[in-house]
Amino acid sequence: MKHFGILMQKEWRENIRNYKIYWIPAIFILLGITEPAVNYFLPQILEASGGLPEGAVFEIPTPTPEQILMAVLQQFQTIGMAVLILAYMATIAGERKSGTATLLYVRPLSFSAYFLSKWVVAAAISLASVWLGFFSGYYYTRLFFGEVEIIKLLQMIGFYSFWVLLILTIVLAASAALPNGGLAAAAAFALYVLLQLADGLLGANWSVSPVKIPQYAATWLTGNPDLPSLWGAVGITVVIILVLFGFGSWISRKNKAKTKV
Amino acid sequence: MDQTTLILALLPILIIQLALMIFALVDLIKNPNPNGPKWMWGIFIVVINIIGPILYFVIGRKNY
Repeated sequence: MKHFGILMQKEWRENIRNYKIYWIPAIFILLGITEPAVNYFLPQILEASGGLPEGAVFEIPTPTPEQILMAVLQQFQTIGMAVLILAYMATIAGERKSGTATLLYVRPLSFSAYFLSKWVVAAAISLASVWLGFFSGYYYTRLFFGEVEIIKLLQMIGFYSFWVLLILTIVLAASAALPNGGLAAAAAFALYVLLQLADGLLGANWSVSPVKIPQYAATWLTGNPDLPSLWGAVGITVVIILVLFGFGSWISRKNKAKTKV
Repeated sequence: MDQTTLILALLPILIIQLALMIFALVDLIKNPNPNGPKWMWGIFIVVINIIGPILYFVIGRKNY
């Protein structure tokens, strides 16, 4: 594990140099702020875009603060996850392609430490971004719409984090297995869509499913979700993450030979 | 809420967008070999809000 610290440092420096440490949080904060702001200014926006005929009466119900925070979560589910997948699609595949990997692979390298170092840095940056995004969204929701108990928000963020980690691990494993970043992103997107589709079509039959974590997390805002199913889903997620972890380290060792010099 | 507090409240959105744009532009200028013509990326970054800088960081930097 002595390598781990050094690999971590390398990974950290790389994330600073390719600006990921700045732009990923920036996007999540923007997503978090825009949702409450757009909802607050919706009447003015409609008026300014001028689509309404003279004398039209439009009753726009004011959304509750909980609804706004759920909308923020929806934004993270679509745009946010896409951004994370695109940002980390090339972590391992790109290294093999650009030749950085040769510098690493010629040394005696523990591939689990290698995979872990990438995972830890990517997870730290994406979780920090998601949290910052939620907190800024929360601040603006309070400013524009009213109070939500912070403990509810924290519960939601905490459980949603497991989902973020799952997506991240899928991307990293795909990046280790496939020849380039584009393919890895395509595979991760396909899996993401398929999982949600399967859960949408057949999900009524089971309550314990990792795909349901975002829903359960959102339920914390308005009440209590079904706790046994939630913990079951979290348990399955952790197991999947560990399995993908083993798979990722194994496949990155196996793909060692595919490195371009 | 009166006008000034509103404007102050929305200032962060503007600042973050500008910061993203500036980061992307500085990197583009220093980048010796971007993935595609430099002027095209410049237009993308300046004209398309938020998405432009992201696209540049993800596919324009040729680090994959």
